[in-house]
Amino acid sequence: MPKLERSEWYDLARDMNWHFKYVKEEEVFPEELSNSYGIPTEAWWTWDEPYKVTYREYVRNQSVKDTSVYSVKAAIARSELFKHVDPGWKSAIIAHYGAIAIPEYLASIGEARMARFGRAAAWRNMALYGTLDETRHGQIQVFFPYGLLEHTPQFDWALKTFHTNEWGAIAARHLFDDMFTANDAVSTAIQLTFVFETGFTNLQFLGMAADAMHVGDVEFGALISSIQTDEARHAQQGEPTLKIFLQHGKKEEVQRLIDIMFWRSWRIFALLTGLSMDYYTPMEYRSMSFKEFMEEWIIKQFMDQFRDFGTDFPWYWDIFLDELDWYHHAIHLGVWFWRPTVWWNPDAGVSPEEREWLEAKYPGWNDNFGVWWDTITENVRRGEIEKTLPQTFPVVCNICQIPIVTPADPKKRHVAPYTLDYEGRRYQFCSEPCKWIFETNPARYAGHMSIIDRFLAGHIQPPTVEGALAYMGLTPDVMGKDATDYAWAFEQDGAESAAA
Amino acid sequence: MATRAQRVRRRRRPTWSLFTERRKPSEYEVVTHKFHYHFRREPAPFELDPNMPVNRWYLKYREGSPFQVDDWEKFRDPDRLTYRTYTERQREREIYVDNLIDEFEQNDHYAHLSREWVQLLERLYVPSRFSGHVLQMVALYVAQMAPSSYITNAFYFQGANELRRVQRTAYLTKAISLDHYPELADSDRTRRTWEEEEHWQPMRELLEKLLIAYDWGEAFVALNLVVKPAYDALFNGQLAGLARQNGDELLALMADDFDLDSQWTRRFTRALVEYAVEHRPENRGLVQEWVEKWTPLARRAVAGLAPLFAQAPQPVAAEAVVQAVEQQVQAFQNECGLAS
Repeated sequence: MPKLERSEWYDLARDMNWHFKYVKEEEVFPEELSNSYGIPTEAWWTWDEPYKVTYREYVRNQSVKDTSVYSVKAAIARSELFKHVDPGWKSAIIAHYGAIAIPEYLASIGEARMARFGRAAAWRNMALYGTLDETRHGQIQVFFPYGLLEHTPQFDWALKTFHTNEWGAIAARHLFDDMFTANDAVSTAIQLTFVFETGFTNLQFLGMAADAMHVGDVEFGALISSIQTDEARHAQQGEPTLKIFLQHGKKEEVQRLIDIMFWRSWRIFALLTGLSMDYYTPMEYRSMSFKEFMEEWIIKQFMDQFRDFGTDFPWYWDIFLDELDWYHHAIHLGVWFWRPTVWWNPDAGVSPEEREWLEAKYPGWNDNFGVWWDTITENVRRGEIEKTLPQTFPVVCNICQIPIVTPADPKKRHVAPYTLDYEGRRYQFCSEPCKWIFETNPARYAGHMSIIDRFLAGHIQPPTVEGALAYMGLTPDVMGKDATDYAWAFEQDGAESAAA
Repeated sequence: MATRAQRVRRRRRPTWSLFTERRKPSEYEVVTHKFHYHFRREPAPFELDPNMPVNRWYLKYREGSPFQVDDWEKFRDPDRLTYRTYTERQREREIYVDNLIDEFEQNDHYAHLSREWVQLLERLYVPSRFSGHVLQMVALYVAQMAPSSYITNAFYFQGANELRRVQRTAYLTKAISLDHYPELADSDRTRRTWEEEEHWQPMRELLEKLLIAYDWGEAFVALNLVVKPAYDALFNGQLAGLARQNGDELLALMADDFDLDSQWTRRFTRALVEYAVEHRPENRGLVQEWVEKWTPLARRAVAGLAPLFAQAPQPVAAEAVVQAVEQQVQAFQNECGLAS
């Protein structure tokens, strides 16, 4: 081995900052791709990554990791394992691949933006590894579902989702474009790496990895735990960026960036991970409830970070804590009811035993949500499935692009959508934070049309459920159906067997 | 009754619905095909206000670039690199370079270099981590703006190869400084050379201007058909020759290895130019124009540094360096079907 340790020469490979002479600095780092927030040039040069890695170490480590994950895949492919996996779990991973694989690749563009427009050479180098990591995650997370295509065409959506106008795809694009694909490099370091990766991907990846291993889905478990080891490294671009903001009196600016993206991340994770953990994962394999995971992995992590760096809790913290008890349950009800509009088979997850679990984890669940499921169960038992399917569409939030849900108790809560009139148009929001996000930068969001705006503007023809399903790219072989063909509705209290 | 053809079709393994060719896609295609759903998306690439700044940027410099074909998705990197094959390949290459360094260090290589040679390295080679870093930045720019993931990924790997070379330069700089003089590894001193030394200024001017060539087609052409071919001819090819005749076999062998990275870049660059011209013949004239636009600056950059080659203990005449680089660049452009 070469005689010098990394630490002896590493600094020389990250000191390539200089003053421009033949072009202007603002041309090299245009504000729209690299918002300086008024922090001076040389201040950025102090950017110091907590985690050091060399190219040599990178290709060695990553090549070993890939060999290991791909060999698990090869071994699993020869077994019949996937056929025996629980249908709810299949739905969870089909939803995951469709919603996550391409966004991971999109994150490579966000990382590449930092690798070009990051304001320090050290940062640009770290972002280059991040670019490669996210290329890995995009490629590996389409390659695995590709191998599962023979089981169901829903795996085709690992690649296809983002080519469509399916409502969840619109919501995911709106979020991820806001966070990184259409974001400037400096804001990306805070919003993608500090908020989203340091905070939230832990939940999806560590939480789902634990559940995957319990369920026996070794392939998925190995895949996402391997991915998480990369995230843990490149997520560390957030911290040094944050420190520079704070050193230069830009607490208000960085707090706003955090507050916007914490809320937006919460929304998408409630939709994706909330449903997977509390309804799709077979009950006997659940390691924790979604709320418990949020408390353990997200809230604790963020509270530590806020304390360590001297930032504040987001102003809406009480709203967020309140939502932990109900938001994803309401969304689950909606997704199940509008199941033809998604590319996976929602698992109702409300057999008598599961309802007991839900009531134990979320006291009051039966009163708030069980009552609706009682009616649905009755309809299913009577064979009146059409009553459990949609004939029209919900109102969608103009920020998160997710159907608006609020608990129907006007004494306790704001039931009607929040609205805002801006330049002659009325916008609807699911919550105060989504409305606030719009107001922080209306020009960024105002010209966008939600799927319901498009429906009302006549872009979706014919203006019927069928027309909308076609607009969303959903074909009959992919449209979501109840994951267990309604078995849950026929289970009796204390009995496992279905008795119709 | 199903016909035989229908039965065969039914048995065939399903593939991506977005992969419309009849044959089965390779692993490279499975993990690269049509990831850039946002290219030419209506009303704007990204799902925000169509007029927000980054949407406008992409509409201007990617969708609005004059460098277009109807469909970029049929372009293939001749080496068909995926993340997995790239890291595998480079892992082997890095082991090779480690072994090289180890072997030369066993023989106390740095101490045997002449002081005059080390002083020349300080002026010619040590500052190249600044210029190499710019090539890395520009590769990552082309990558994020390219209209197809087949192109983007190739530029990601090209950018990573620049980082590889820069880091090995940093390593050698530090290692040599320990046996000679510490100022060699003084960053501020190196930055001053890059910012002030007259031989470097034309190269710095070229690279600073390259940083703001924002049209994706122009950035691709300027970087991969003009600047990088010249730069690599100078810093891999010519430097290896100079090192060899000055007793620095280690640097020469390392430069030879970095040239394998450059050869791959030239392979996919040629494939991309051929693809663009084949699918839209007007692209030839456009590429040619950009080549002509960037060539004078690149020539000046090479001519600026070439006199340093003449100051080595065992020198090479500046004119010979300039000519050799020119020849290599021309030959490459000719290979790409561009008339000189």
